[in-house]
Amino acid sequence: MATHDNTEHVSDAPDEAVGWESKLQYFLNSDFVRSAPYWGIPFVLMSIAVYGGIGYNFAISFTDYEGLGTPDYSALDLEMYAQALSSDAFIAAAQNNLVLLVGFTTICLVLGLFLAILLDHGIRFSEKFQTVYLLPMSLSFVVTAQLWLWMFNVESGILNLVVTTLGFNPVDWLGNPSIALGAVIFALIWQFSGYTMVVYLAGLQSIPDDQFEAARVDGASITRTYLRIIVPQLKEASVSAAVVLMVFALKAFTFLYALVGRYRPPNGTDILATLMVRRAFKFGEWAYSAAIATMLLVMALGVIGPYLYYQYKQGSL
Amino acid sequence: MGQIQLTDLMKRFGDTVAVDDLSLDIADEEFLVLVGPSGCGKSTTLRMLAGLETPTSGDIYIGGDHMNYRVPQNRDIAMVFQDYALYPHMTVRQNIRFGLEEEEGYTSAERDERAVEVAETLGISDLLDRKPDELSGGQQQRVALGRAIVRDPEVFLMDEPLSNLDAKLRAEMRTELQNLQDQLAVTTVYVTHNQTEAMTMADRIAVMDDGELQQVASPFECYHEPNNLFVAEFIGEPMINLVRGTRSETTFVGEHFSYPLDEDVMESVGDRDDLVLGVRPEDIVVADTDPDDAAIGDHELRMDVTVVEPHGDQNVLHLSHPDQPSDDDALQAVTGGMHLVTRGDRVTVRIPPDTIHVFDAETGTAVHNRRHDQEADLTELEQ
Amino acid sequence: MSQSSPTGSFDVASLVEDVNLRRVGQYALVVFFLGFFLVPLETGIMTAIKTNESVARSLPFAPPASEGFTLGNIQFALEQLSGSFFNSLVMSIPATIGSVLFGSMAAYGLTMVNWRAQMGVLMLFVVGVFVPYQAVLVPLARFWNNIFPLARMIEPMVASIPFFQGYHADLVPLVITHIAYGIPICTILFRSYYQSLPNSLVEAGKIDGASITKIYRRIILPISKPMFGVVFIYQFTQIYNEFLFAFTLVTGSDAPAAPVTLVLPAIGASTSGIDFGIRMSAAFLAAVPTLILYVAFAEQFAKGLRTEA
Repeated sequence: MATHDNTEHVSDAPDEAVGWESKLQYFLNSDFVRSAPYWGIPFVLMSIAVYGGIGYNFAISFTDYEGLGTPDYSALDLEMYAQALSSDAFIAAAQNNLVLLVGFTTICLVLGLFLAILLDHGIRFSEKFQTVYLLPMSLSFVVTAQLWLWMFNVESGILNLVVTTLGFNPVDWLGNPSIALGAVIFALIWQFSGYTMVVYLAGLQSIPDDQFEAARVDGASITRTYLRIIVPQLKEASVSAAVVLMVFALKAFTFLYALVGRYRPPNGTDILATLMVRRAFKFGEWAYSAAIATMLLVMALGVIGPYLYYQYKQGSL
Repeated sequence: MGQIQLTDLMKRFGDTVAVDDLSLDIADEEFLVLVGPSGCGKSTTLRMLAGLETPTSGDIYIGGDHMNYRVPQNRDIAMVFQDYALYPHMTVRQNIRFGLEEEEGYTSAERDERAVEVAETLGISDLLDRKPDELSGGQQQRVALGRAIVRDPEVFLMDEPLSNLDAKLRAEMRTELQNLQDQLAVTTVYVTHNQTEAMTMADRIAVMDDGELQQVASPFECYHEPNNLFVAEFIGEPMINLVRGTRSETTFVGEHFSYPLDEDVMESVGDRDDLVLGVRPEDIVVADTDPDDAAIGDHELRMDVTVVEPHGDQNVLHLSHPDQPSDDDALQAVTGGMHLVTRGDRVTVRIPPDTIHVFDAETGTAVHNRRHDQEADLTELEQ
Repeated sequence: MSQSSPTGSFDVASLVEDVNLRRVGQYALVVFFLGFFLVPLETGIMTAIKTNESVARSLPFAPPASEGFTLGNIQFALEQLSGSFFNSLVMSIPATIGSVLFGSMAAYGLTMVNWRAQMGVLMLFVVGVFVPYQAVLVPLARFWNNIFPLARMIEPMVASIPFFQGYHADLVPLVITHIAYGIPICTILFRSYYQSLPNSLVEAGKIDGASITKIYRRIILPISKPMFGVVFIYQFTQIYNEFLFAFTLVTGSDAPAAPVTLVLPAIGASTSGIDFGIRMSAAFLAAVPTLILYVAFAEQFAKGLRTEA
């Protein structure tokens, strides 16, 4: 024991009280204090950016701030919210957003589940196929918007090639307001269904193989096995994928902007996110767009709030 | 010096009390085993000793120094974890050396030398440049020990270190650990839920249940003089036989038999009415019954053999009372391996009066333990 | 999954079953979806290497005939994009490193120590993953333009760095913004990994006398190398592909500091319409960095997505 002696000798008599110095030193040495900088610095940076930003946005939304200069915080009211809720453009954008949210999320989940089951069993090189199916997710929305712009092209796009080969008249996919939103949803599904597939495959792989085997021994058909035994166990995968998709549908902006390269997306596809950005950066209606952004945030929180609560209750956070 | 003193130690996690008012003195160079079922607070106690948990109240002293406000490093302890906690990206050499890096008084070369020296002690010199995932369970165990030894601490803390090994290796490592502890003369606190490990390795056993210390004593005492029902049941395999009953004058009356109590037993029983009679299976004497002989002694009863478990050196018999065959495990008895009994036999079971334990049925405390020549037995044990 | 029917106990029977209708159908679907996911990409690439004449005449997905082949479009797009490629990398690499490091640190601090308000702090990180960026765009623009015009302040300094121009200063606020908003997702990704590590590793470190910092540097960092790969690839792809922040802070596609994603929607456009040969070339070029990463590290990318969910 002679080689080292690093005991601080607080006291030799067991009964002596511990001095406040050693308590303080202990506290300063404690894991809580020592680990604080690790989470603390990123937390402060993130909090200023996210929550500071949200707070600031919230504050601006109560002013009448427009154009140049500084916001005037002396007269705060809900005028911008009232204005938004009574505006036709806002209502139309909200409706489009709802269609996008429901349609996009549902189809993505269904297609993703289908692809996952398709590749789950009995396919050689299944991983290679997965890689290809997921590939669109690695591309920027700006890039995929260009690809689909070409796919949707009225004269030489592939979709119209198919349509005309089938004997129909060419369709103006993005120019016709009643079709455009569907076309956008279609393109976004192309990009996202690989993602839902990956989430579902992870869920499928966590189900033990012997459940498949037990079902086979019981004589259940493959379809029945999936419908009755496997799919019900994918509830959690579905919920988390749905949350990610819905939040995306609320904030989708880039794809729509990049399709046309201007603030106003194709007619019939204007959603809250595009409306907000247009109002802010094209017209300088800062307060008005801040109000729209706040409502968008509330909707997103409406989606993730219950989800996080559920996760917390499950103890899976 | 590595003596340890715990006074009124208490640990709460939220509303649950993990360790309740625990006081315990551990002598220098002693091998103390903390044993109990899972959740009894033994690991929490060890972790408080290590400095990984902060006590809610109470004090910890090691070598006479107050430890509550010291970080693990300054407590002069080393710990072996159940999963060994070897750093997977480091070689065996680096793993062993890591704990020396923060120790003062070594040059870098001395640290390397020390790591090699420790590896030699443990017979793992040829593994020094391997990574943990290239080692067998037993080898990993040795590296974990090496990491503990290298800092030459005053106290070893071991948290179920053998539970991940297979049965044969476990028995081997038990002996090896004991020799090592002898050789290094380091105070050791060893946590396990395995009573065999506790019995075979400990100088003293501390039995815990529900956060409370039940008994601290030598293995001999814990086995033959348990403080209460919990200790009696926890220590010993097969488990002690316990029969509930009442006292009628000087006789213990159970559901199926009466058992006269000797004078010295009665002295300790006093006027308690609800009793539990205990007897170790190996103390029960089993004799074949002569069907013609109806006579039965004071401390004898007739029982039927329901199961015979042959172990080679001994047979464990499960017995039932003839008037209640549905309870096929009313008593267990151990007989010699050559004593052949078959299932269905009716036997005469004798419970020798000097082997019985009597417990107070309400509080569970032992009021009488079996007779033995303690002095003679203990000296024998220590040699 | 090949089915064994009660009658088919011969080898021939099981062989026939192996190529039964169900299997054929399954593979047919797999190939169909292969087409579904690849056709837009393939069409884009084919269009990129065709002359304008060939684009107009041939089928969009067909490869160019020999006289219809040209690298002119790609060359032109490359010239147009080269500056913005540089901008994109100058922005993405430090932003990725920053957010990944901060995320790893935060996850370590939050996972390794237990204290009461921890769950609350973690929740704030998790919500930060999902917040629509629209909710912070107006404040962001105001902050970097009016309140703290960092780009203007450091412009002369940036101009004095070799290979850099003064306008590259515009990228600095963008990098900081990306780091700040990238922290939540990186934290969550690392946290799920650190939670899977045995607690005893850190405790053994503490017993061995290592400080919190030493445990991080010597034990946790080396062990989490594979996770760093996952998060780095995921986060680089996200930041490189991102549009909205660049759009807010660098504004126009003609700004000299504009990253690729900002320039792309304007390339090849003229009053007479879009030149798809050039547009597709540019789209393909813009996608090349993430495509290379994806093809090389598809498993890591998928793991990042899975953990996020």
